[in-house]
Amino acid sequence: MLIYLPIAGLSVNMFIIFGMGGAVGFLSGLFGVGGGFLLTPLLIFSGIPPVVSIATVASQIVASSSSAALSYWRRRMVDMKLAAVLMLSGAVGTLIGVVVFNALRKLGQLDLIIGISYVTFLGLIGILMLRESVRAMINARKGRPAPLRRAAQHNWVHRLPFKMRFKRSKLYVSAIPVVALGLGIGFLGALLGIGGGFILVPALIYLLRVPTNVVIGTSLIQIVATMAIATLLHAFSSQTVDIVLAIILMVGGVIGAQFGVRVGQNLRGDHLRALLALLVLAVGARFFIGMVTPPAERYSLTIVTGGAL
Amino acid sequence: MRPAAALFCWCLFAGSAEAEQLTIALSTGEINVDSTFSGDTVTLFGVIERDAATVSRNTDYEIAVVLRGPPETVVARRKDRIAFIWVNSASETIGDAPAFYALDTSSELGEIATPALLERHQIGFDAIQFTYDGRAAANDPAAAEFRDAFIRLKQNAGLYSEQPAGVSFIGATDNVFQSAMWIPANAPDGHYKVDVYLFSGNALLAHEEGKLDITKVGFEQFMYAAAHQHVLLYGLACVLLALSTGWLAGVIFRRD
Repeated sequence: MLIYLPIAGLSVNMFIIFGMGGAVGFLSGLFGVGGGFLLTPLLIFSGIPPVVSIATVASQIVASSSSAALSYWRRRMVDMKLAAVLMLSGAVGTLIGVVVFNALRKLGQLDLIIGISYVTFLGLIGILMLRESVRAMINARKGRPAPLRRAAQHNWVHRLPFKMRFKRSKLYVSAIPVVALGLGIGFLGALLGIGGGFILVPALIYLLRVPTNVVIGTSLIQIVATMAIATLLHAFSSQTVDIVLAIILMVGGVIGAQFGVRVGQNLRGDHLRALLALLVLAVGARFFIGMVTPPAERYSLTIVTGGAL
Repeated sequence: MRPAAALFCWCLFAGSAEAEQLTIALSTGEINVDSTFSGDTVTLFGVIERDAATVSRNTDYEIAVVLRGPPETVVARRKDRIAFIWVNSASETIGDAPAFYALDTSSELGEIATPALLERHQIGFDAIQFTYDGRAAANDPAAAEFRDAFIRLKQNAGLYSEQPAGVSFIGATDNVFQSAMWIPANAPDGHYKVDVYLFSGNALLAHEEGKLDITKVGFEQFMYAAAHQHVLLYGLACVLLALSTGWLAGVIFRRD
């Protein structure tokens, strides 16, 4: 069934988009990730303009993260003060991200920066995850217990000034790394259409030593807030949020996630992480191939004024 | 109704002009495009009026029908290989470009009129006068590659066309003609202008204008308008929709 996307300005098969949302939702439920870094590339590869993909996925992330965020909130597994600092700095980061997004779009270099960023991020994270999961698998086969990741209680981050106390996390750390994290995640989220949970969660655990019981809830609250702001700013400044596309993705996503969670409970963690790593690397490779192969059409047109829709 | 009416009326109103006069009628003056719209044909009927005082000609009548969409400004970009990746490098901002341009003629363009005459009335792709940002002269040769790329991409999208046999004279007459113009589904909305030119022996004898409005309607148009006119409300609606979808999913699939 063909459905017309009013903002993207093209007709798509509703079931294909629904299936994409469902598949990414399934994977995000399976792996416990937001899925923005898979959904945005999938939409771009299927011909939806990158600007529309990124802005619309921001709203989809709000939907897919808010139900989980609410559930963590109810169970009080959130450090509200930490979340508030992250959100405030995240809002500023998002604003900068949207400004850069629009400037790059005007210069005609947005697609290039998106491509380079995705290749770099996905390549780096994919390789790290693959190495870690393969090591865990080898250890499991040899019957060795997994080494406990317990680095020193204090690292360089804890020596920075402007300390703040976060009671819920039992932390007394400098505000600088917290604000920097919020800024960075907000910036990347607005620019690339990713929630950033896959960066934020490890950073909170390993860099700030936030206890694991509040990490997920706190990062989910931060992601919902910054992506909501990103949606609003994209809709406000470039009119690139496609509400029809968003609805299809949201519904597919939340349904797919339910099945993903159930399947995920029956799979081993290291196998799951290895699978996700391969998937991440495949998406990165696809971006890379797209950038190095000679384009079939070297010229492109962008409408500045008039003739819209 | 209208084309038929036009055909009857021309006999009544035919004046006593010395040169030929043109009367045209379009099968419709407005096209409403909804989400199921897959293109439509607009038929133009025309009559060449003569009276006893009109000089007799020994050359055939030739007709050119130009349908122009609203003007737009477009950036045309070219990708070049830098290091090992393909990057948008050179670009040209093209202004005053018709968003849609369909030319139907009764013969090949070269047989209708002289290049100078075609140029003056912007008949044919080669005669469209674009402007370029930062270039004083219209149709600067330095911008030619972008101009060619623009026209080629527009043709590929079905928005620019030239049909050398698009105008036909009805039956055995040499003064009643018709032209069927295809409006594709992706035709941008706005005010379109139809120009009909009558040539004979490389001379322009008459010119008539018509109007066609293309308007998008329905839910999609409503959403498009909302997104562009009420930016803040639309953005808030998107966020609220996302939050309520998430909340609803949490209620339906509650695990805790």
